[in-house]
Amino acid sequence: MSTAYLIQFAVSATAVALMIGVAAWGTRGRAPRPLDQDRARRWLADEFPGRPLDAVWLASDGQGAVAKSGDSALVLSAMGDGYAARAIAWDQAAGATFKDGHVQIPLRYVAAPKAVLAFAAWPPRELAA
Amino acid sequence: MKAIDPVTLATPFFILTVILEIVLARFGKLEARYETKDTAVSLTMGLVSSAAGLLTAGASFAAAMWIYQHRLFTIPMTAVWAWVLVFLLEDLTYYWFHRISHERRFWWAAHVNHHSSQHYNLSTALRQTWTGGVAGTWALWLPLSLIGFPPAMVAIQKGISLVYQYWIHTEAIRRLPAPIEAVFNTPSHHRVHHARNPRYLDRNYAGILIVWDRLFGTFQAELDEEACRYGLVRNLGTFNIVRVAFHEWIAMAQDVVRQPRHLLGWVFGPPGWSPDGSRDTSAKLKAEWVARQAATPAEREAA
Repeated sequence: MSTAYLIQFAVSATAVALMIGVAAWGTRGRAPRPLDQDRARRWLADEFPGRPLDAVWLASDGQGAVAKSGDSALVLSAMGDGYAARAIAWDQAAGATFKDGHVQIPLRYVAAPKAVLAFAAWPPRELAA
Repeated sequence: MKAIDPVTLATPFFILTVILEIVLARFGKLEARYETKDTAVSLTMGLVSSAAGLLTAGASFAAAMWIYQHRLFTIPMTAVWAWVLVFLLEDLTYYWFHRISHERRFWWAAHVNHHSSQHYNLSTALRQTWTGGVAGTWALWLPLSLIGFPPAMVAIQKGISLVYQYWIHTEAIRRLPAPIEAVFNTPSHHRVHHARNPRYLDRNYAGILIVWDRLFGTFQAELDEEACRYGLVRNLGTFNIVRVAFHEWIAMAQDVVRQPRHLLGWVFGPPGWSPDGSRDTSAKLKAEWVARQAATPAEREAA
């Protein structure tokens, strides 16, 4: 590998760092709004069109939501200013580990291994009863 | 003739225009949506991609040189007609490379990275694969050397195509004049390509000329009534760059290990293929979308 290439790579890496810095400045103070019921339902309808929503529970910090749709759990978790969505078996979601006010729902996918969502209790009290 | 690399030459332009797009968006002068972690992943993917490409560049260029030694014709690199011809043939090759990269999982595993951002801005253009060389799609360009185009000429034209495709990754340009939209790949056409709305899936594979999509039936215009939603059918839930780069390869390997007798389907089927049809392919998502559109309001309510 030539010295010229290494210099070019180093300059490119510096430029990348600069651009990331500019992006951080450019988006400063523009944190995404927490989810509310309407937005969560709209996202879920876009992600899982045609799937009925029996109930939707919002994470307490608005950074995600879990919906029950028949035997499935539709999970939304914040990803930057967007969301990642996955459908898993409801029993799997309901039985997820709950600790320190956060439920860790296993999504079992390489690029979305788990969703960590803040809830006061898990599973939702009305279903646990 | 000394070979030039259009991508290297254009790199300062890439840097300046990304910064310009962010700054102008910050001051509300144009439409662009950035997110810091997403931008960091895109730009780092691009940086590492340039180094990863070196791993297979030697082999691919050597293969092209070997083929060229057995060429059918000798095409001069200095003739204008030769450049017109290589422009058209390279762009046609790109169309099929891009189409196979979307429609067969093995090549999608390499290309999926480019589509994994939920944003569509100039930094998205630089979110390039690390595994394209290993996936071997460079072999699709070898017939050009067999015809008789010098490998350096093909490489330059490939670079020109990549540079062209950079500027179309933007929401800042809505529509260009109709004659341009009719012939060339534009920001509007390419937004459709990056959209995950069922209607827009697997459309607009063009590199420079959109005419290939019109010719082969894969063209879809951007519709005012349906805004593009970007990213993957199922978006990533991590900014871990190693997972971003390799997730589809790993998922494919996991599927093959779990069901080796379905190896061909898992590897060369369309993305989302599964033996029992339980996963979503583009075709399935489109069919479901069409069915939903055809359903009456009462049927939709009942569903």
